[in-house]
Amino acid sequence: MTEPSQPSPASLELLAAIAARAEAAGRLEPPGGAAVLRSIVEATVVLFDAEAASIALYDAATDRLVFRVAAGAQGQGVVGVSIAPHEGVAGYVFSTGQPIAIMDVAADPRFGASTAEQTGYVPRSILAVPLLDDEASLGVLEILDRRSGEGFALRDVELAGVFARQATVAIRATRLERDTATLLRDGLRALGAGGAVASDEGAIDELVAAATARLAGDDDPVWALADRVARLRAADPGQVTLLAELLDVLIRRAERPRPGRADR
Amino acid sequence: MTLGLDGLPAWSEPFAGDARGGLERGLPLGTMDRQAAFGDSDGSGVRVAIIDSGVERDHPAIGDRLVSSMLVEVDDEDATVTDDATAADVVGHGTACAGIVHAIAPGAELVSVRVLGPNNRAKGIAFAAAIDWVVEQGIGVANLSLSSRSEALAALFHELADRAYFANTLLVCAANNVPGPSFPSLFASVISVAAHDVADPAVWFYNPSPPVEFGAYGVDVDVAWRGGGRIRATGNSFAAPHLAGYAARIRSRHPDATPFEVKAILAATATPVTG
Repeated sequence: MTEPSQPSPASLELLAAIAARAEAAGRLEPPGGAAVLRSIVEATVVLFDAEAASIALYDAATDRLVFRVAAGAQGQGVVGVSIAPHEGVAGYVFSTGQPIAIMDVAADPRFGASTAEQTGYVPRSILAVPLLDDEASLGVLEILDRRSGEGFALRDVELAGVFARQATVAIRATRLERDTATLLRDGLRALGAGGAVASDEGAIDELVAAATARLAGDDDPVWALADRVARLRAADPGQVTLLAELLDVLIRRAERPRPGRADR
Repeated sequence: MTLGLDGLPAWSEPFAGDARGGLERGLPLGTMDRQAAFGDSDGSGVRVAIIDSGVERDHPAIGDRLVSSMLVEVDDEDATVTDDATAADVVGHGTACAGIVHAIAPGAELVSVRVLGPNNRAKGIAFAAAIDWVVEQGIGVANLSLSSRSEALAALFHELADRAYFANTLLVCAANNVPGPSFPSLFASVISVAAHDVADPAVWFYNPSPPVEFGAYGVDVDVAWRGGGRIRATGNSFAAPHLAGYAARIRSRHPDATPFEVKAILAATATPVTG
C-alpha cells in the first residue's frame, strides 16, 4: 500500500491534472443550478399571481447582469438578455442591495424601452429584490405585474425577499459543490473509505493542497477564456469544431519555446 | 404557514397599523412641537446631498435647486470625486429621492453624488468616498439609500459615520430589509429609516427598538423618475428622504443643532401613537 502523505510524483501530477480539469469544468457550469432557480421563479409566479418572474445573475467575465431563468406567461423572452449592472431597476437593486417596487412605469414612455424591445413585454409594475450573499450581491429576483392589476405592497417586498434568500442559498450550495478543493477532498475521502488511500484528514488536506497549489488564481486570464468557452454552448457544432481547430493552433504556438526569451 | 417571515428582520413591522401601540413613549419628549422644531422653515441655507444614481437637473420636481452634480470614479482601490457634467440619472432613483427632499424642504440646496456608474465595480469604495467627500464639504444632511455588506469595509464605514457625526453632517440611511451586515445603516451615529404605509409625507414614527429608529412614508409614493416623468414606488429608500427633508428644515431653523440633537428633535416631534 502506498504511503498517502507522500504520494509519488506521478500520482501528484495526476491529481493536479484532475484538479485543473475540475476547476475548468466547474467554471463552465452555469452558476446557480438552473433547475433550482427555475423552480424558485415558478413558485414566485404562482404565489404572486404574476405575469412573470425572473432571476438575473451577475457575470463577472462580461460585467453584465444576465437573466438566467424565468417563469410566467410573459417571462420567457427575457432569458439570455443582459443589461449593464448599474442601469435600470434591476441594476439599481443589484448595485445597492435595496429592494424596490415601482408602479405605473408605463407612465414614463422611455421606461424599459430597450428591455421591452428585447423581450416583447413592457410591464406596468416591477418588484425587484437583491440576491445577497454574505459579502456581495449575486443578482436580482424580479417580479412583473400581478394579474389582478394590484400593485406591490410592503409585505410583497418582504415575501419576495424570502424567495430571493432561497435562490441565494441554492446558488451558494452549487458554487460550493463546484469548489475544486472540496471536490478533491470528498473524492479522496470516498477512496479512503474504500481502503484505497488512508482516510486520515491531515493526509488528505496535504494531498489537496499539493494538487491545487498550481491552479491559477481568480484573476488569471485563462478563466476569462473558460467563461467565454462556456457561452459557446449556444453555438452550432460546425462553429464549435472550427473554434476547437483554431484553439489547437494557438495551443501549439503557446507550447513552443518563445524566441528571444529565456525559458524558466 | 408563515413562509419563514418570522425570521426576517422586518424593519417596517413596528410601524404597521396594529403594531404601532408598541411605539408609545412615556418620556416628556412631546413638549417640543413641530412649530418650534422647524415651523415654516423651508430648509434655506442647508445643503442636502443625495448619494445615489444621480439627479436629473432639469426635472420639474427638483425646482432648479440642484447646485452641483458629482461623480465618484473608482480606479483599482482609488476613488476620486469629480464634476459630473452630464448631471444625468442612470436609473431615476436619485431623482426620486431628490424630489421627495425638495417637496418637503424647497429652500434646501441639493447636491448629487452619483456612486453608480459603469466603472464602479468596487461599489463599497465608491460609496465610502462619497460619504468622505460630503463630510469634507461640510454638507449638513446626506441621504443614503444604499449600504455596503462588506465586512472588510465595516471599520472604514464606522470611522466615516463617526467622523460625519462629529463634523455635523447628518447621515440619513434607508434600512436594508435583508439579514446580515449593512453599513452604515445599522450604526448608532446615523438616522436609519424604514417604510410605513400611511400615505402622508408628514407622518413619521420613532421606534425605541433599534437598530431602525424611524419609520416614514415609503409605500406607493408618487415620485419623480428619469426622463422628466413620475412613477409610484415602494421601498425603504423612498422613506429615508422624507426624514432628510425634515432634518434639513430643522437644521435651517436651528443651525447650531448637532446630529444628535436633530435626531432627538425628530424623535420628539414624531407622530404620536397611543397604545
